[in-house]
Amino acid sequence: MSDAPHIHRTGGPAAASALADGPPNDGPSLAGAPDNDQAAAGLAVEVRDVVKVYADGGIRALDGVDLEVRRSEFVAITGPSGCGKSTLLHLMAALDRPTSGTVKVNGRDLREIRNLSQFRREEVGLVFQLHNLLPQLSAVENVEIAMPWSPRHSRSRAERARQLLAEMQLAGAERRQPSQLSGGERQRVAIARALANEPGVLLADEPTGSLDSASVDRFLQMLGRLREDHSTTIVLVTHDMAVAAAADRTVHMRDGRVVDAPPGA
Amino acid sequence: MPLISIVLRNVWKKKARSLGLALAIAFAVMTVVTLSVVGNGLETSATAILKVGKADFTIVQKGVPDILNSTIDESTLVRIEKTPGVKSAVGVLVETQKINASNPVFIEVGIPPEDLTPFGVTILSGHPYSPDATNQVMLGWRAAQNFGLHVGSSFVANGTTNTVVGIFSTGNSFGDDAAMFPLPALQGYNRVPGVVTMVFVKVDHGASIPSVEHSISYAMPELSTIRTAAQFGREDLTLVFVKAAATGSAILAVVIGAIIVGNTMLLSLFERTKEFGLLRAIGWTRTEVLALVMGEGLLLAVVGAGVGVGLSFGAASLLERLPELVGVLHVRFSQDAFWRGLLTALVMTLLGTIYPALRAAFRSPLDALGHE
Repeated sequence: MSDAPHIHRTGGPAAASALADGPPNDGPSLAGAPDNDQAAAGLAVEVRDVVKVYADGGIRALDGVDLEVRRSEFVAITGPSGCGKSTLLHLMAALDRPTSGTVKVNGRDLREIRNLSQFRREEVGLVFQLHNLLPQLSAVENVEIAMPWSPRHSRSRAERARQLLAEMQLAGAERRQPSQLSGGERQRVAIARALANEPGVLLADEPTGSLDSASVDRFLQMLGRLREDHSTTIVLVTHDMAVAAAADRTVHMRDGRVVDAPPGA
Repeated sequence: MPLISIVLRNVWKKKARSLGLALAIAFAVMTVVTLSVVGNGLETSATAILKVGKADFTIVQKGVPDILNSTIDESTLVRIEKTPGVKSAVGVLVETQKINASNPVFIEVGIPPEDLTPFGVTILSGHPYSPDATNQVMLGWRAAQNFGLHVGSSFVANGTTNTVVGIFSTGNSFGDDAAMFPLPALQGYNRVPGVVTMVFVKVDHGASIPSVEHSISYAMPELSTIRTAAQFGREDLTLVFVKAAATGSAILAVVIGAIIVGNTMLLSLFERTKEFGLLRAIGWTRTEVLALVMGEGLLLAVVGAGVGVGLSFGAASLLERLPELVGVLHVRFSQDAFWRGLLTALVMTLLGTIYPALRAAFRSPLDALGHE
């Protein structure tokens, strides 16, 4: 991994600089300055009194959620279907906005980030239950599409994508289409894609939901190696208690609330 | 991997859809280019007669649907000749005659022999006909070649057998494909004594052409003066209608093409909603999604334009061979035809793609990801 072309490590000065100098995207940029208190506390994710009410039907998906995730921590969020765990993950990924409350990632309040595309590309990596690979692209191309466009960096992008696939034990499968990969292999390609820009935080929504037990074990090994090698913070939503058991900490949710997460644990 | 690679993969992945779209674009391009080339070809053929006379301007009867239906009395010709600034005025009768199936619209020009030189006619072989001869004809060298005739041959036209007394050149394909008769003879064959179709005017050295035109138009308001092909196009109502119909059909083709492209793109993008949601979720900007969709449209437009221009070559050639248009329509493709085709394809694709592309780019990624 040390040989990988350096894009940037999120949260530090390089990240701030990269955001400031980044290409024009959906907005003039950029994230607000990192919150020093959160940074000092070593928090990767901070959720404070978050409420999410869906306008259509007035469903209160989240009802005053508080959550802190330290850097390099592996947190599993569990709970029954419809308890709000995926909604919480989507807010952390800036795919949605809370009705009230604050969500900070790497010290940045997501409400103040104008260029959300850049945030999603560089600050967080997303893994979905259904890998969501593009069927017309090969494994290596599916990883490359997450990296910023620049013809000048085309070769380094491809090299980095191959390297990530090798880390996911998919060396030799780079040119294969998603239809030629097993479910577990596809999920590992999805992880490689999520890590393409060296995000500080990996957010996974039911990533093992469609995998067999052997693939789940391998997936968890991958996550463990990720933390060892890259100190990546992992927030994973799951129904599977065996998967949750692999985490440093499990947060339980019910009816839009965190029910038994010890504060600051 | 550059964006163009993804564009190519996406287009290639849905071959049947891409082919259908490219063909829809191609047919619209073919329609626009063919109609445009045919319209221009008809105008070129029609205006070619103006160039035969090598005059400063031409005079026809005002308000006739087809300029070949113009009738000007020879007494008017005398008044034109007397207009200050006019050096010469040559009155000619132009008629068409069906010779055979290959020559359904053969041009016959009635002109006095003394006006042949001012009219720009060069005798290549033989001699001019006599002023009052009733069975003599001169053939343009292309017509002679076409019919396999030479000086001394017989040429049957207007129900009479004429002797070919000369072969001429005008330096203009329209004139060189025609036959020339003594003016009274052609007037007699067509029962229009004392009438010419148009008058070719040359002005005195140093005289102002527009001033002379103005003087004639003022003194003889029943006449129109024509100096350019555009003026001809405005005076000849048939040509006006043909060009208007061609323009209308072309606009209709573009609109129908744009609707087909838009509908197909919309359906295709609807199927790919989740894909766009994913791209937005992993950090693609709206601009990048727009570029992807528009890039796919652009690629299909270029392919469709190429195929469409190719098809228009075939269509125009077929039209040229229609018995009704043989000899009338001379199609010439220029670089303009390709650019016109490309522009048509681009405009049509832009119209058809912009809305689906904006929808894809501006939909919430979460909403799109949940789409089934």
